[in-house]
Amino acid sequence: MAAPDLLLQAGVVFVVLALGGGLASRFGQSVIPAYLVAGVLVGPNVPTLFGVDFVLVESREFVDLLAELGIVFLLFFIGLEFNLERLAAARDRVLGAGVVDLVVNGGVGLVLGILLGFSPIESLFLAGIVYISSSAIITKTLIDLGWIADPESEAILGVLVFEDVVVAVYLAVVAAVATSGGASAGSADLAISVGRALAVLLALVALATYGTGLLDRLFRTDSDEQLLIRVVAAAASVGGLALALGVSEAVAAFFLGAAFGGTSHAHRIERVITSERDLYAAVFFLSIGLETDPALVAGVAGPLAVLVVVTTVSKLASGYWGGRAYGLSERRSVRVAVGLVARGEFSLVIAALATRPDVALLQGEAIAALAVGYVLVMGVLGTVLMRYSGVIEGWVVSGSNGGGGASGGPAGD
Amino acid sequence: MTVYETDIPGVGRKFEVELGGGERAVVVHHHDGRREVFRRADPEADSESVFDLTAVEARQLGSILTGAHFESVDTGELSVPLGDAIIEWIELAEDSPVTGRELADTNVRVETGVSVIAIQRGPDTIANPGGDVTLEPGDLLVALGTREEHEALQTLVGGSTADSGPDPDA
Repeated sequence: MAAPDLLLQAGVVFVVLALGGGLASRFGQSVIPAYLVAGVLVGPNVPTLFGVDFVLVESREFVDLLAELGIVFLLFFIGLEFNLERLAAARDRVLGAGVVDLVVNGGVGLVLGILLGFSPIESLFLAGIVYISSSAIITKTLIDLGWIADPESEAILGVLVFEDVVVAVYLAVVAAVATSGGASAGSADLAISVGRALAVLLALVALATYGTGLLDRLFRTDSDEQLLIRVVAAAASVGGLALALGVSEAVAAFFLGAAFGGTSHAHRIERVITSERDLYAAVFFLSIGLETDPALVAGVAGPLAVLVVVTTVSKLASGYWGGRAYGLSERRSVRVAVGLVARGEFSLVIAALATRPDVALLQGEAIAALAVGYVLVMGVLGTVLMRYSGVIEGWVVSGSNGGGGASGGPAGD
Repeated sequence: MTVYETDIPGVGRKFEVELGGGERAVVVHHHDGRREVFRRADPEADSESVFDLTAVEARQLGSILTGAHFESVDTGELSVPLGDAIIEWIELAEDSPVTGRELADTNVRVETGVSVIAIQRGPDTIANPGGDVTLEPGDLLVALGTREEHEALQTLVGGSTADSGPDPDA
């Protein structure tokens, strides 16, 4: 039997998650920043106040395991929802918005990283962190605000799907490059590492493309319980195998999910694993908080402020442009713009990669601290902007009317 | 009428039904079975949530809307095509020449060609009336026949058709 201590630790973990989540919902906020803060507050890095030690969670093993499952299921679920035909059908309208979103925000992140004194590879991490919007926060807010019924949600979700695909490829490449030691390692090592990653990915893509019939048969069962166990078995073992081969477990999970997305079980799997995903993902967010030293986040406050301001503006600009390219009115394009500002789970997945022991980044800790501070601010800011988007819509629409009714650009002259 | 169907990644499916005049009903089916119904007054308006239903409630409401639960009677639609024959009804006026006489005595079928298939008298329906039924003022004769035969019936009983049927003078 496990020590009673371990069960108590688990109790503490879920009590703080429950408190944080309850508080966030009360203020109409996303739960992700709340889970992060909860993790910081009970983690080993919290300072001792008035002689009272707040460190409640010491055993990391079970937290690490559940957090790992959280990453796997987050990406597995995205893969499950991912549908190549659907993306192809929406390609003409989403492609422009998606590419601009990637080039503008990824580019801004890369340049800012270099300017802030990070190495090229570290800047690549930073680019990913500021590029990828939070599907979890944004989708939930779209539902809460009722935007889900309006055309802007199609543009927003279209861009998010595009980002999901980009991030799958991004994680695969960045994980391979970073684990091989980056520029400091020999180019032969790098080639082998990238080559092996590509081979594993190719195998997974082949599974997603041709394995539908096989998966359909293997996972045919009347029992939801059996289905759940088989899916967890597949996701955990494929993720673990990928890690052992030096490939990102998140990417492997994404492609595994995509393989299941083609089967007739897709909707049922979604239904049975949703609560599992939410549970493990909550622990994942908390675990990032546990690792975060508040002093380190405070130490990067300057760069953090720069990141927040510049990438909020860049997301707003690319989102507005994307909305217009999607054929939406100015007012609805403003909603697309504010609807893409929130960053969350994927930025943290990238941050988790940055601190992995086999990823030798000189300033990995600083990147992770930046990411945590960044998600804390952007998770809240994104939700607030969406809630009060009416104000911004008012400015933009009246501003453009004053300028002769033309859209966006400097039409007045 | 056009129905637009779109996938909402991570949420479920969205259906938009055109209601005319740019108005749309929007139904969001969540993966967990929940259904939200919105109304969007025009393309630029924001959708307003009308109601939020569980799967069971949605099925109940759906069966009412499709008419499986209760079929309303639309009186304007009661004329059903039977070849050239249609079903019309005519109310007997106080001064109609046929009131006070038995149905067989009015010789209505020979005179006009229509068959009287029912008589509605207040709340009572006399289905397939026999020849011995005495016609009373206010009776609603439900008759089957062609357009011309109905016009002949109109002339015979001298009343006015109860529905907005064709003007017999035209």
